[in-house]
Amino acid sequence: MKLPSLFRRTPFRLTLLFLALFAAAASAILAYVYIASASEARARAQQDVLGELTGLQAIYRTRGVDALNQALVERIVRAGPYLYVLVDANGMSISRNLSESPVDPKTPAAPGAWETFPLTDTDADGRVEKRQGIGQEVMLSGGERLFVGEDIGDTEAYLSRLTQALWLAMGMVLLLGASGGLLISRNVERSMGRLNQVVAAVQDGDLKARAQVRASGDELDELGRGLNGMLDRLEASMASIRHAGDAIAHDLRSPLTRMRAKLEVALIDAEAGKVSGVDALEIALSEADHLLKTFNTVLAIARLQAGGARDMVVFDAADLAADMAELYEPAAEDKGLDFSAEIERGLMIEGNQPFLAQALANVIDNAIKYTPTGGAVMLRARRRSAGDIEYSITDTGPGVPEADRERVVQRFVRLDNSRTEAGSGLGLSLVSAVLEAHAGRVQLDEGPGAYGGFGPGLRVALVLPPASSPALDPE
Amino acid sequence: MRILVVEDDAEAATAMLRGLTEAGHEVAHAVDGAYGLLEAQRGGYDVYVVDRMMPRLDGIGMVETLRKDGDQTPVLFLSALGEVEDRITGLKAGGDDYLVKPYAFAELVARVEALSRRRETGGVQTVLKVGDLEMNLIARTVHRGTTEIDLQPREFQLLEFLMRHANQSVTRTMLLEKVWEYHFDPQTNVIDVHISRLRSKIDKGFDRAMLQTVRGAGYRLEA
Repeated sequence: MKLPSLFRRTPFRLTLLFLALFAAAASAILAYVYIASASEARARAQQDVLGELTGLQAIYRTRGVDALNQALVERIVRAGPYLYVLVDANGMSISRNLSESPVDPKTPAAPGAWETFPLTDTDADGRVEKRQGIGQEVMLSGGERLFVGEDIGDTEAYLSRLTQALWLAMGMVLLLGASGGLLISRNVERSMGRLNQVVAAVQDGDLKARAQVRASGDELDELGRGLNGMLDRLEASMASIRHAGDAIAHDLRSPLTRMRAKLEVALIDAEAGKVSGVDALEIALSEADHLLKTFNTVLAIARLQAGGARDMVVFDAADLAADMAELYEPAAEDKGLDFSAEIERGLMIEGNQPFLAQALANVIDNAIKYTPTGGAVMLRARRRSAGDIEYSITDTGPGVPEADRERVVQRFVRLDNSRTEAGSGLGLSLVSAVLEAHAGRVQLDEGPGAYGGFGPGLRVALVLPPASSPALDPE
Repeated sequence: MRILVVEDDAEAATAMLRGLTEAGHEVAHAVDGAYGLLEAQRGGYDVYVVDRMMPRLDGIGMVETLRKDGDQTPVLFLSALGEVEDRITGLKAGGDDYLVKPYAFAELVARVEALSRRRETGGVQTVLKVGDLEMNLIARTVHRGTTEIDLQPREFQLLEFLMRHANQSVTRTMLLEKVWEYHFDPQTNVIDVHISRLRSKIDKGFDRAMLQTVRGAGYRLEA
């Protein structure tokens, strides 16, 4: 892995950012500890020094400078914690255990001023130590000056050890953090790399590329799974679009061929004077209309198959059945058919009403078209015992042989005995597409059976799931 | 009648202009929604025929603007889009009718004329009269001359629509849409059968047939 690219990686950058924040926080804590410890050590030393000064001043006041000197010598010999300098009014040293007074012996110090001074000492192993002391000088009533100080070097050493330890810890944290960040970023990099490979492959047009998903269930796997799901969906709709395109091209070839043939015949007839030019144009127009109708149906089927039905509303299937019965009854009776309807009330379904109306119309149209005069057509709408809503249209026409029932719902399939009737051969295909888009199905069965030259008839059932949400009462 | 056609497809516009002019209307043409809006704002039109898909300002945007300005002139949307939701979008934007391309010319003329008529008959009517045919919308009775005609509810609705659009061609699709309120394409002549039943009730036994078949278009109720 190239180093510069590493710095562009999100996990590594995040690690560095985190480390920088950690270092800043550690420094702040360190500074606080340092300042707090140092000022506490000073305060304690100052308190001690003041106590010692008070005691020594009391000795001086009651017993004079010699007693003070004696006391100092005793204390120096006992090797107490304090450092003393006593000079007379002329600045001449009386007694001391400090090589030099930190206070200029010629000029008296301001009363109450604290003086910090360097100390040089040797530790147990003979190493030279630089230490610090703090102290105060007082002017005694006889002109002598007394300085008392205390070594605070121990605190300083402690603090410097603490600082050292903290720096070391910080260094280790930085090292661990950096290597951890490197590891994590390599790891993430690998997983991301796999995902990126998939994206690149898809960009190059390979819709079959899929990300490897481990079972760890982390968010990268989740992303991979999401990506795969998206690609599945994309591939499916691409396939269905391609399929629809092929189907449309295929579906339109036969009507176009037919139209061309008819136009050619019309042209020949017009040239021969058998039909007028206007008639030929009328034929052309009606063929074009027919072709457009076919095209619209093919498009509707393709859309239904690709995207399902839209504009779904909850409505009463019974109302649609009643409207259809009312619409088609005169046409059936005109043909000399006995038309009847049996409609249960309150059959709520959720669907695209225009599409379902079209589906129902196509089936009723077929029933009227194929049932010979004197026959019967019956429309029923009911709730099946399983809860599904069923429209059924039963006729006493010739029916569809069992072997052909699957085939007739395919596009452009017209059975031989129906070739003389007008129609595109798409009617039942559309019905089937509409029902599938509604999670329903079309079922073809034999009608009431053969009798008196009729039958066996056909029973077409359109089965739909009931509306899932309880519909609003129309009242 | 003055009609403003807003259509960016030059060929379609030319055909429309010719056809509507031949049907006896005065027609102006705008090549897109922005020009259409300017032309419409000059006023004086009875109907706007507006294509939905146009450069610059589309049909929906143009009609929404007009409606916001208080222009209530009827609008017929033309569209290559035919899904139900497209029709609903068009009607919501302020369109009064919706015709999907490609359409038969007779259908366009019939719908344009139906729209303009609708505006003329403002106000609530209780009695419709066409020639000697009289319909009482309150009592729901129909008379031709002195003869009372007994109609089924749907036949009554059908006749009402025809009377409201008397002396105009109405197409089968219009009847299915406006009387039955269904938008689908019947494969057979269901509407014709209803018309012929109505015809046998209002014309049978009278000298003159009022309900005429218009070849290639639909029907017309003539006074």
